[in-house]
Amino acid sequence: MSDKRKSPLKTALHGMDERAYKMMAMYLQGPCKGAAVVVEDLKAEIDIIDADSVKAKTLLKQRLTESTKPIIALSLQELTFENILYVKKPVKTSDLLFALSEARAILSVKKKSGNQVNACTQNTASRQSQKPVTKPESLLDPVKKQATKTDEQKKTSKHQTAMQLDEGKFNAFIGSVPGLDVNDPKQFPDATYNPKDYFQGYVQSALMVAEAKKQVMRLNSGWKPLIIFPHNHEIWLDADDKQLRAFAGVGMNKISGPGMTLTPEESIAASVQESLEKFHDQDAFLWKLAAWTSKGRYPGALDINRPVFLKHWPNFTRLVVTPHALRISALLMASPRTLPEIAEVLKIKPQYVFVFISSAYALGLIGQAKREADEIVQPSVVKKTEQQGLLSRIIGKLRANKS
Amino acid sequence: MSHYKIIFTGPVGAGKTTAIESISDIAPIKTDASASDMTKTKKSSTTVAMDYGIMNLTGGEKIHLYGTPGQERFDFMWDILTTGGIGLILLLDNTRADPFQDMKFFLDSFQKFIAETNVAIGVTQMDLSNKPTINDYHSQLRAMGIKPPVFSVDARVKNDVSLLVQSLLYSLDPGIEA
Repeated sequence: MSDKRKSPLKTALHGMDERAYKMMAMYLQGPCKGAAVVVEDLKAEIDIIDADSVKAKTLLKQRLTESTKPIIALSLQELTFENILYVKKPVKTSDLLFALSEARAILSVKKKSGNQVNACTQNTASRQSQKPVTKPESLLDPVKKQATKTDEQKKTSKHQTAMQLDEGKFNAFIGSVPGLDVNDPKQFPDATYNPKDYFQGYVQSALMVAEAKKQVMRLNSGWKPLIIFPHNHEIWLDADDKQLRAFAGVGMNKISGPGMTLTPEESIAASVQESLEKFHDQDAFLWKLAAWTSKGRYPGALDINRPVFLKHWPNFTRLVVTPHALRISALLMASPRTLPEIAEVLKIKPQYVFVFISSAYALGLIGQAKREADEIVQPSVVKKTEQQGLLSRIIGKLRANKS
Repeated sequence: MSHYKIIFTGPVGAGKTTAIESISDIAPIKTDASASDMTKTKKSSTTVAMDYGIMNLTGGEKIHLYGTPGQERFDFMWDILTTGGIGLILLLDNTRADPFQDMKFFLDSFQKFIAETNVAIGVTQMDLSNKPTINDYHSQLRAMGIKPPVFSVDARVKNDVSLLVQSLLYSLDPGIEA
């Protein structure tokens, strides 16, 4: 039976490239008469997976363990996974419609019982014949809608290009701690901070819990609600950067109120789903939060006299690029160094090293040499390339034209 | 005068032409033609020889920006293009069926050039397809024994392309001061 009188099933597509994705969206709209509509993962009631894609096996296992949504797998070969609805390729409209109606039935049972019910039908879609669906309607409109802007593209904060800070803007943007000169080597022991004393620490703990539980969680701080979406590696916060920057620097012991709580977010409010511009990539969010919490200091957990190493380059095009961050990264990718050494080799103020290290440390990109051998091995000397003057002029040119 | 070059490479539709356009001081010279093979599924025209742009530096020096044709049947040109190059920018399209395979193919193809210089990788179309993630790319690269910069890039945005090229240059020499 066609589902055309019912509301379309909200469907997420996985394991498909852009072309296959668009084609499937059109197919659901046209030949399947709108029995299902493609939405982003968060809003989806069911998953359709191309089981012949490269990462399909992992994807299927992941979905089966982490999600309770009914899964329809499209494949050339019969699948051995249990608890999925299987549709044989080439996909016939009747088979897919039947699988969709099965998925709808599972959802309905789940809704009634309130319990998790697994899809238990395998091969059902291919064993029953369905009434063929008639001629497709115009396919142009759905394609245009897909081609305009997806929900992912509307997450403007997530995809905006990096902000590059120069030395002149640093203090105004990052801030400083009154009475502390972080650039004075004598004050290095005092130039530390503990992220746990600030909002940053609570956000980091909440991220770990949400990730471990694979559950959408809400961090209630008495300030602005922050929602964590571990599956998409996203954070939703109803505050702009200026507000976040101010809150980042406030010690949590100075805040009165009910304190921090972390609660599972069972249903996502429409206001959240509609404010897509308030979604942030977790890493980009944590990076800037750490920079603003640090105010040019470094995390107290790091020993300033032991070399640190960088696990890999940060994704700079989507981060706040603090002064000399690219140079520091390149240097640390070559060999581990202590924080004062980095400043010395690059001839820069320690505050630029400290703020970079704070952000990278928050993302888990910084490690500290623990073995004796790591300290015995001298860091390689930075050799000047013959083309240093030329490379410097190219960088000057690129920076001048960064708009 | 010396002939300095930065090479942009990657599969069809990864944004090489657009990236060069973003940072070139001249309207890039394109050698696109209507796509007539599998390329047609990705875009209506494609680069069949190479793209070319210029960055004019103070003092009259020029940096030549070359984009390799994306189709593998033109790979005989790659050796010629890279001779005397400063480094390699590899752009990968995240909506392709297997971007890791693309990455491996291009890193293998330019292995000698990368060993002599360096490479920075830009992943495009991440707003259309956010998987694989940048961390997934790092995991693959770690297994290959290299740790180049990997950034999400919108080839139309000058700032993105600029940061990617800067990371390449700093990888060559962290001591450079702008």
